[in-house]
Amino acid sequence: QTLPAPLANQTQSQPAILVADKVFVTPERQLIATGNVEVFQGDVRLKAQEISFDNSSGQLKITGPIRLDEGQETTILADAAELDNNLQNGILSSARLVFQEQVQLAALQMTRVNGRYTQLYKTAVTSCDVCDDGRPPLWQIRAERVIHDEEERQLYLENAHLHVRNVRVFYLPALRLPDPTLDRASGFLVPSLRTTSNLGTGVRVPYFFKIGDHKDLTVTPYISPRTRSLELRYRQAFRTGEISLNGAYTRDDLQPDDDRGFFFADGRFRVLQDYNLAFQVRTVSDDAYIADYSLPDVDRLRSQITLDRTRRDRLFAGSLIHYKTLRDSEDQNLIPSIIADLSYEQRWHPSWRNGEFSAAFRSHSHRRISDANATLTDPMGRDVARLNVDLNWQESWRLPFGVIGSWQLGAAVDHVRLSDDDLFGVNSTRITPRSALTFRLPTTRRERSGATQYFEPILQLGWTDVSGDDVPNEESNFVEFDQGNLLSLSRFPSTDAREDGASLVYGFNWARIAPQGWQASATVGQVFRQEANSDFTKSSGLSGTSSDLLLAGQLQFANGTALTMRGLLNGSLNFSKAEVRGNWHNDKARITGSYLWLGTDPDENRSDATSELWFNGGYQLTGNWRTQANLRYDISDGRATRAGLGFAYQNECVTVDLSVNRRYTSTTSVEPSTDFGFTIALNGFSAKSDSKNYRRSCSNT
Amino acid sequence: FGTVRADPLLPVEVTADTLSVNQSNGSADFLGNVLIIQGAMRLSADTVHVVYKVDDTNQQTGIESLQAKGNVILVNGPDAAEAQQANYSIDTGTIVLNGDVLLTQGASTLTSNQLVVNLTSGTAEMSGRVKTILVPGKN
Amino acid sequence: CGFTPVYAPGGTGEALFNQIEVVAPEKIKTRNTVAAFALVRALEERLGRGGSTYALDLTLSQRSEGQAITAENEITRFSIEGRSDYTLTRRSDGVIVASGTVNNFTGYSATGSTVETLAGERDAEQRLMVILADQIVTRLLSTDLTAAPTE
Repeated sequence: QTLPAPLANQTQSQPAILVADKVFVTPERQLIATGNVEVFQGDVRLKAQEISFDNSSGQLKITGPIRLDEGQETTILADAAELDNNLQNGILSSARLVFQEQVQLAALQMTRVNGRYTQLYKTAVTSCDVCDDGRPPLWQIRAERVIHDEEERQLYLENAHLHVRNVRVFYLPALRLPDPTLDRASGFLVPSLRTTSNLGTGVRVPYFFKIGDHKDLTVTPYISPRTRSLELRYRQAFRTGEISLNGAYTRDDLQPDDDRGFFFADGRFRVLQDYNLAFQVRTVSDDAYIADYSLPDVDRLRSQITLDRTRRDRLFAGSLIHYKTLRDSEDQNLIPSIIADLSYEQRWHPSWRNGEFSAAFRSHSHRRISDANATLTDPMGRDVARLNVDLNWQESWRLPFGVIGSWQLGAAVDHVRLSDDDLFGVNSTRITPRSALTFRLPTTRRERSGATQYFEPILQLGWTDVSGDDVPNEESNFVEFDQGNLLSLSRFPSTDAREDGASLVYGFNWARIAPQGWQASATVGQVFRQEANSDFTKSSGLSGTSSDLLLAGQLQFANGTALTMRGLLNGSLNFSKAEVRGNWHNDKARITGSYLWLGTDPDENRSDATSELWFNGGYQLTGNWRTQANLRYDISDGRATRAGLGFAYQNECVTVDLSVNRRYTSTTSVEPSTDFGFTIALNGFSAKSDSKNYRRSCSNT
Repeated sequence: FGTVRADPLLPVEVTADTLSVNQSNGSADFLGNVLIIQGAMRLSADTVHVVYKVDDTNQQTGIESLQAKGNVILVNGPDAAEAQQANYSIDTGTIVLNGDVLLTQGASTLTSNQLVVNLTSGTAEMSGRVKTILVPGKN
Repeated sequence: CGFTPVYAPGGTGEALFNQIEVVAPEKIKTRNTVAAFALVRALEERLGRGGSTYALDLTLSQRSEGQAITAENEITRFSIEGRSDYTLTRRSDGVIVASGTVNNFTGYSATGSTVETLAGERDAEQRLMVILADQIVTRLLSTDLTAAPTE
């Protein structure tokens, strides 16, 4: 093995240094070094039993077990060798070339030619551990001749046979493989087999084109009895950003006479020094394509471009979004398909008073393609544009007995312009002054065990007064109530609906924090209102004059279990909404899961409760076998929506992946489908990605 | 020592600043930049202790061995060797140098702890952490 | 019953109030700058600002996931899982006084129109930041500052 190309010529002149226990100088001026002989040349290091160096010819004759290391990447082991003195050229017999302690080429003879090419005769190439019990490795490629090009870092094999154990499986007259030290190279990626109920059994063979260091193109034909599809992925990295384009052109039997396909694009750039520009394009030829070809699970295609910049006290964010719905229940012309948002926020902190003044300017507009006028019950083609200005002063003081008081005074002005609507005024304006007084008393207690308990009662008196024209509630019909908006003065998600009147909120925060052992936290809260707000749906928990009781908590145990729970307990002591998420892991297994309960709510067109369980787990069976499974099960309907099972066998030289995924849902254009995936990859030739090591030991395989 | 042989039987000429003779065991100590010349070979050192062969009548019949210490430099034709001390036994024709031995043969140099030079066969054997620069080609 | 106010003299709250400088949002490595701004703002509301004694450094990551998928393959709800690692360092000697990880989730309905789902998504993200900030403040106020080693 010669030096990596850039190094090769530079160290040509560098003399080789020899170290040994004994050096015998013969009358013919030959140095014979014996005993732990080592020769250093650049980053090449050669160890041998005995080396004789002939001054006049500059030839090294090397005997005894030879080990030649080159950088940390490649190693050559041989029984005997004859090399020139800067170890560039020469012949090694019964040599083994090992790349990154992973891929090894064993050959009867190896010749090195002018520092770049290494030729191996009668070679066996494998990345599996070769046990000296004589058993052949799991797989190996036997080749008549292998040429390793140092500069291009490629391996060219002639008359290559792939052997599994000692069964000849595959013959290739010529084969090119990138040597493992190469990071990016054009070539075939691991092919995979895919069987789906709609498309039958097909094979995907990706080919990777390296276009320079910053661009690459992957072309993946996917052929099955019922589809011919060509998938393309183009990626490019720039100094200030990156783009990734994915697409496919398909002709299949599901829609025989149509050209089908999809085009997804993603990009992120840093522009104007510190603005972030990001865009995302999602287009599909027809609604069923995503489900047929198992693309990411979305039921609405969202294409958008966003520009934002943040400072500690200033935030600018703009976005333009286009939606294309794939839902049967939605008509593309009647959904708000083009949505534009612009917002600017700034905070000031005067020196003469410990408080914060903030101002926010937001503009929003959304358009529906249809121009049909809105009716009482149906927005039809209504288009909305609104401008909001929100000014706020806020300060806090430290009161006696450790109480923290904070006072907020603010006002919001909303101006809304409608079109394709004659129910509401074309232009309407609303003004909403607000004020709130909040008291907190955070306390702690140190336990002997070193744990700390934290307890914090909270009380808030709030007042808002909405005055001005009525505005259609287009964005705030679905309201969530949790610790995040327990203390906010308008819990509607957007500004087209606002809470009105006086309110009183009480809450308790509790936590147990311990360096080791179990930890927990809990929050209880409730909102009392002067008058009920009809915009709040039943299951939002905020309807009526007294809201549902908000209960939320977290539990972490030392054994790796973590649970997060939240629920809204309504007046009749059952949950209108509840969700539990949990995960558990130890060194062999990990499980994550969640349970969701949504009570019946006609306003959220939920005639019967939603009760869904989701589960995803992985288990390491033995050192090399791993399984993983996932399930999404709708308990109220008593049927699964998604299920998946996977087995993976991985050792140091082969990875076998078997996965089954079943989608039970169906729409008018898509039936339920099952998707089998199967790949075999010979490790060692692709970039090393897996940090964990699955090396088998000779004894137990 | 490679190609050039030396003849251990040639007369040995010793020059030094001072000389002290020890009659009882028939040895002599040359002190102060001692220079020993034998044929083409030169040996210089700070001090040289000479042991004479003594026949049964206590007569000196020749030099048995020379023990040189301190900045020993041995030059023999194109080759030169440095060491801290050297021990030249005339009968066997071998010189044993040790202590930071530096041997230069034309363009290539070798270092080691010990060097045994056999003047009759013209070979040199270095041992103990031998280190050399393999200078390619013509030298 | 043994609970002492943290803002009483000698309490942790007293020692931390207006003494912490929260990391600027543009310095938090996250793809979502709007969320970073909300997280820093919520923390400054509770911890005060402009302090120089302590520095609070944060990471922020979040993941969204569809839920409650109907038989007609409609995703009727989304939840956003958020996670933040925090480190409170005393500037004078660089000692890390408190550090840890907080995580939580918020959800929003997707049965409404596109603008309703979008408004729900943005509100859910803002609420998640308030929750993460409150959890960080709870842990900071529970730290026993005296235990932190002082050279």
